[in-house]
Amino acid sequence: MEKFMLIFHGCPDVTPSPEEMQASMAQWMTWIDKLAKDGKYVSGEPLMTGGKLIKGSIKGVTDGPYAEGKEVVGGYFIINAENYDDAVALCTGYPDFDKGGSIQVRQVMKLDM
Amino acid sequence: MFHFIKALSKSLHIEQLVDNLFRREWGKLISVLTKLFGPENLQLAEDVVQETLLKALNTWKINGLPQNPSAWLFTAARNKAIDVLRRQKTHQQYTKSITPLLQSEYTLLPTVNDLINDVHIDDDQLKMMFVCCHPQLSAEAQVAVILKTLCGFSVTEIAKAFVTNYDTIEKRLYRARQSLKENNVSFELPPKTDLDNRLENVLTAIYLLFNEGYSSTHHDDLIRNDLVQEAIRLCELIGRSKLVNTGASHALLSLIHFTAARTEARLDEEGNILLMKDQDRSKWNREMIGKAIFHLEQSAVSENLSRYHIEAGIAFEHAKAVVYKETNWNNILHYYDVLNRIYPSPVVALNRAIVIGELRGPSEAIASIEAISNISLLKKYYLLPLTLGELYSKLDQNGKALAFFKEALLLTQSAAVKKLILQKIDLIDQ
Repeated sequence: MEKFMLIFHGCPDVTPSPEEMQASMAQWMTWIDKLAKDGKYVSGEPLMTGGKLIKGSIKGVTDGPYAEGKEVVGGYFIINAENYDDAVALCTGYPDFDKGGSIQVRQVMKLDM
Repeated sequence: MFHFIKALSKSLHIEQLVDNLFRREWGKLISVLTKLFGPENLQLAEDVVQETLLKALNTWKINGLPQNPSAWLFTAARNKAIDVLRRQKTHQQYTKSITPLLQSEYTLLPTVNDLINDVHIDDDQLKMMFVCCHPQLSAEAQVAVILKTLCGFSVTEIAKAFVTNYDTIEKRLYRARQSLKENNVSFELPPKTDLDNRLENVLTAIYLLFNEGYSSTHHDDLIRNDLVQEAIRLCELIGRSKLVNTGASHALLSLIHFTAARTEARLDEEGNILLMKDQDRSKWNREMIGKAIFHLEQSAVSENLSRYHIEAGIAFEHAKAVVYKETNWNNILHYYDVLNRIYPSPVVALNRAIVIGELRGPSEAIASIEAISNISLLKKYYLLPLTLGELYSKLDQNGKALAFFKEALLLTQSAAVKKLILQKIDLIDQ
């Protein structure tokens, strides 16, 4: 089994109603529930907006990255999957596709010592 | 291993998501923030709550629910409120009594901590209800503001509930907020002398909310359960309170439960309305009726007889009858006589006439409808021609009946009611 990182891009609607938030929360929990029950879920963290960018030989620090709304990273999961096909298949339950969200799937490198 | 333990300490399972969590917490947070910012800054409170809940969603959806979501939200709201106050303290007035405390960094934190918590959350929501039902606001504005602030409905959802457009509701809410500002409405219960009067406003708004839910005047769904549930929740909050005279609120709770108990029996499988006489009474919800009787007993604590006491009494008579023909119409007529004396209205008089029809026949009923003094007020009320049509068809005066049914058809926007009337018209045409 390999590990994959799912990176969630996009900042969905900023003015959902409490009822819409409830629905969204339920969809996410259903998805995670399924991943966890199948032994696929490893961990995940949300990320705050904003951030710092450190660059160059003078190690200059600037605020950012202020990416476009659709590029903002809102959080990530680490999941177990056989291969890319399997990992991509596990993403079908992601609830934010129709809210402008997208997922970047990356395989975690394993060092065989 | 670390990840494994971490995953277990979070609530990742869907069963842990409480129904209406976001809506309920919205109402609580709006109440405590309005206590802090003052009703004149309602918009600010709404903005802070929106941001807080959105932050919660974006965190929880990936991290799972925290052990105590409500406590998490109160902490987040407190931090946001402190940010807002620090940013704006020089040029904004908040609730008068606390404004000086917010201007010094030394007292700001303890003051906010003291106000933004759920220790007195029932009282805070009760006070918020009185703010929403301030007499300066029109009845329809009061219901809209309650839905927006205490029940967490969006403008779109309120507009949908009342089948009007977004702009109408948005304007209604804007004017309401302006009015709270201009009238210097405070986040306190009204003075004792005025309390019962003002409570009547609050109960009326809850009654309207319930009616809209139970018998949606404009909506395609005849029964809107979310509105019914919210009406019950708000009314229970008043019933539990030690701050107000709760007899009338128990009576209203009793009436609501008696009525809502009939929900399942009210529509057939095809969504047609079944009138009381055609309903399968075994489908009435016994648990709800039990609650209704409990609240009817509780309602006796008050010395004043409210209209809800009498209406709950009528509903009790219907609930007692195992089959329609066992209905004690004499008792019901007595209640309507009392109601007509204390709270006279043409709607009450019309209902009383229907009872007279049950006791003494359709001709007497028609005579008593014709005797209603200010009947012109019912000109646009579909139940008047519908009742007259029904009575004339019982007398086999089909021409008159048909004319009244057709009139009724033009006066309702409810799809279910239209269908019911069309069935009656078909029966005559056959």
